[in-house]
Amino acid sequence: MSRVAEVRRREAGLMAGFSTAISLWSDRHFKWLLVAPGIGLILALSVYPLLFSFWVNFVNYDFQIPGHAFVGLKNFSQVVFDPVARWSLALTVMLSAANVTIEFALGLGLALAMVRPFPGRGLVMSILIIPLFISPVIVGQAWALLLQRPFGPTNYLLGQLLRREVTIGWLSESPWVYFALILSDVWQWTPFMFVILLAGLTSIPPNLYEASELDGIGGWLAFRLITLPLLAPMITLAITFRLLDAIRLFDTIFIMTAGGPGTKTYTSSFYLYTVGFTQFHLSQATAGSWILLVLTAALVSFLVRHLLKAETV
Amino acid sequence: MDNREKRDFEAGLAADVDAWLKGEPTRRTFITKLGQMTGMLAVSGPLLASSSQWALAQAAVELADASSPLGKAQAAALKASTEGPADGSAFRAVAEAKKFKGVTLNMTYESGLQALDPRNFSGPLWEQLTGIKSNVVELSHPDQYSKPVAEHIAGSGAYDILDIEPAWTPSLADGGVIAPLDDFIGKYLNKADLDDYHPLFKALPTYKGKIWGFFDDGDMFALYYRKDIFEDPKMKAAYQGKFNKALEPPKTWEDYAQVAQFITDQMAPNVYGAGHFRKAGSPGNQYDFLQQFRANKGQFFDDSMNAQLASPAGMRTFENMLAANKASIPGNNELDAVSLWAAFLQGKVAMIYSWPPTGRMCANYSQSAKAINFIPQSSIAGKVGYALVPGNPEMATGYNKALSADSTNAEAAYLFMQWAVSPPVSLARTMLPYSLRDPYRLSHYKSELYRSLWPDAPAYLINLCNSANVGLLDMVMPGWQDYALSIDRMCSSVWAGTDPKAALQTAAAEWDQTTERLGKDSQKAFFAEYKKLPGSSADHTVEAMGMRVKL
Repeated sequence: MSRVAEVRRREAGLMAGFSTAISLWSDRHFKWLLVAPGIGLILALSVYPLLFSFWVNFVNYDFQIPGHAFVGLKNFSQVVFDPVARWSLALTVMLSAANVTIEFALGLGLALAMVRPFPGRGLVMSILIIPLFISPVIVGQAWALLLQRPFGPTNYLLGQLLRREVTIGWLSESPWVYFALILSDVWQWTPFMFVILLAGLTSIPPNLYEASELDGIGGWLAFRLITLPLLAPMITLAITFRLLDAIRLFDTIFIMTAGGPGTKTYTSSFYLYTVGFTQFHLSQATAGSWILLVLTAALVSFLVRHLLKAETV
Repeated sequence: MDNREKRDFEAGLAADVDAWLKGEPTRRTFITKLGQMTGMLAVSGPLLASSSQWALAQAAVELADASSPLGKAQAAALKASTEGPADGSAFRAVAEAKKFKGVTLNMTYESGLQALDPRNFSGPLWEQLTGIKSNVVELSHPDQYSKPVAEHIAGSGAYDILDIEPAWTPSLADGGVIAPLDDFIGKYLNKADLDDYHPLFKALPTYKGKIWGFFDDGDMFALYYRKDIFEDPKMKAAYQGKFNKALEPPKTWEDYAQVAQFITDQMAPNVYGAGHFRKAGSPGNQYDFLQQFRANKGQFFDDSMNAQLASPAGMRTFENMLAANKASIPGNNELDAVSLWAAFLQGKVAMIYSWPPTGRMCANYSQSAKAINFIPQSSIAGKVGYALVPGNPEMATGYNKALSADSTNAEAAYLFMQWAVSPPVSLARTMLPYSLRDPYRLSHYKSELYRSLWPDAPAYLINLCNSANVGLLDMVMPGWQDYALSIDRMCSSVWAGTDPKAALQTAAAEWDQTTERLGKDSQKAFFAEYKKLPGSSADHTVEAMGMRVKL
């Protein structure tokens, strides 16, 4: 009996020792245990796909051509020498610049108009920011319905206004198709500029304007000397965010024009989608994505550097 | 445990106890909660899966009124599946499939209306008959190609049955994505069922001497026109006076543009002569150009596989298409298939050519289903005539049912396919008002039940059969997506003002690039196989090959 008790005592000692060892190990490595799930997710969902796509850049990965033979830089050259790719990049730059410029101008104007309280301001602001909450696909569909002939009312209303027949092909003729795309983008994203710039305007201390008034400075001069410099970091922030989003323009193109007429409304995103998921040339689309990533990263780092500089001033 | 370890342990324990007494989170509580969360996650997986399966489960079989033609067709399908004849493909499929009771078949379908058939009718009925469940995976049209390929590369075995364009068959067969059916066909199919296919469709799943699926959707373009306008004495007299010939459905593309322009001149803005779905990506451009190009004796490639788009046939095709556009409803170049239907059903257009659901919608048969209520009610029911598209009509897309090579339930999957496309079951499926499956069997065209769906249904079915007699096929070869995309871009750029010759040259250059990319020799071999199919060119149709079906 005493022998059994001795064995049990030793077993209990061993268990306690084991438990202590685990506890100590867990003390030492607890921080790693905490971050392990996050790291695992990042590895699985970001790092692995990134490395995989890097490999795809240099092999044949095409749903119509069996095998994954090494092709060197061929996938990149197919993108670089594709006139549609070059046009899509140029259009992306032009549309992004036009969209962001117009949205900034309108957003700033609205923010300046709304910065001082007036009756119904809350209601007007709520209405103004509604487009922000609508999916871009729905926005594209709504504008397509408004502009598409023969059912959309736009040409009819313009005809009533101008007192002559209007036969504009908003979704099928150049340059009208660009106006249509800019119109839908500006309608949706001007509120974004407006909200950020309004926040910036309200953070400017009012005593600065009071002091300027005492010095006899008002109107345009106060705007140029006080408002703009103090709003500059917010302006940079708003333009940076909006620009990063604008260069991904896809949804409205997909719904409103499907890239047409011809390839006239192919943006980079739409081009990559078409090559990857209509034509199934995945390796070419991946190489194109990497090129776009590098270009975007260069733009981002430039803007972020500018943003940080503005903040430290 | 030495003294230091003991001190550390006790300090840690004290900290844990203090934290516990204060109600703060401790490492122990964290680990406990992490364990609980992990446990909940483990449990929630099956729970969510079962609840989502319940949510997506097929409804009970949706059957029509037993006294209606559709109800009778459904009853006949049920009878053929349960009572025979014993050598019927439907009966044999059901009898053999019962041993797979409890299995679930994953089948891809185009999302939306196409998927309603397996969700509401064929899927639940098959389960009722065999105990085999069906899981309908709805995919966008391009994804019906890309997803099965991706799943095949991953070796997931995610799908058992694939709905694919016949044009994809060579790529998917050579890529090992789909499996040949010959062994199963030899074992289970009543061979008479193969002869029941219209000859245009019969050969479509055959590639390199093997059968890679069952054809399942007769997407023939046909001309739909307003009989009341064409038979109006005043219009007839005016046309006769102007052109010294009778006003009738056009037989050439030159006539088509002329008739359309005449009607527009006479009746606009109330009615326009024609309408087309010309919107980029809609995808009317590719089908219309290819059917007219071949009707104008255009050849896709020369003997060296160089694209022949930039040719007199290409120029003539654009001349006719531009003339037709000029005679069409305003906004013609912005219409997609659905908006073109809407314009025709509202009586704004005198002629359109499109897929077979057009005839069913014109008669207000389709609109009897709630699922299709986004299409307006027809204001032209009883006023629509059916004719051949001038020249040769396109068999635009179509569908094959194919067996996934990675299916773990290959035999059960095959049996479902055999059952679904068998004459009595496929008849009931093509008669579903919401279905976009169109008649393709000789027994469909001859069916008295189908013919009694609306007064002009017999003429409709005869016209579809006649269209198939002279019908043209899409390019059944790898690269079809690329070739078709080039055509769509070419056309929409011409509609926007690009010089047709320059556009043809650009598209031809794109075709050559596609051919080079896929391998000129291999494409040449594929094209040679394609040219053997009835319907590959205007001088190689079913009729030209002496296989015409006369009803």
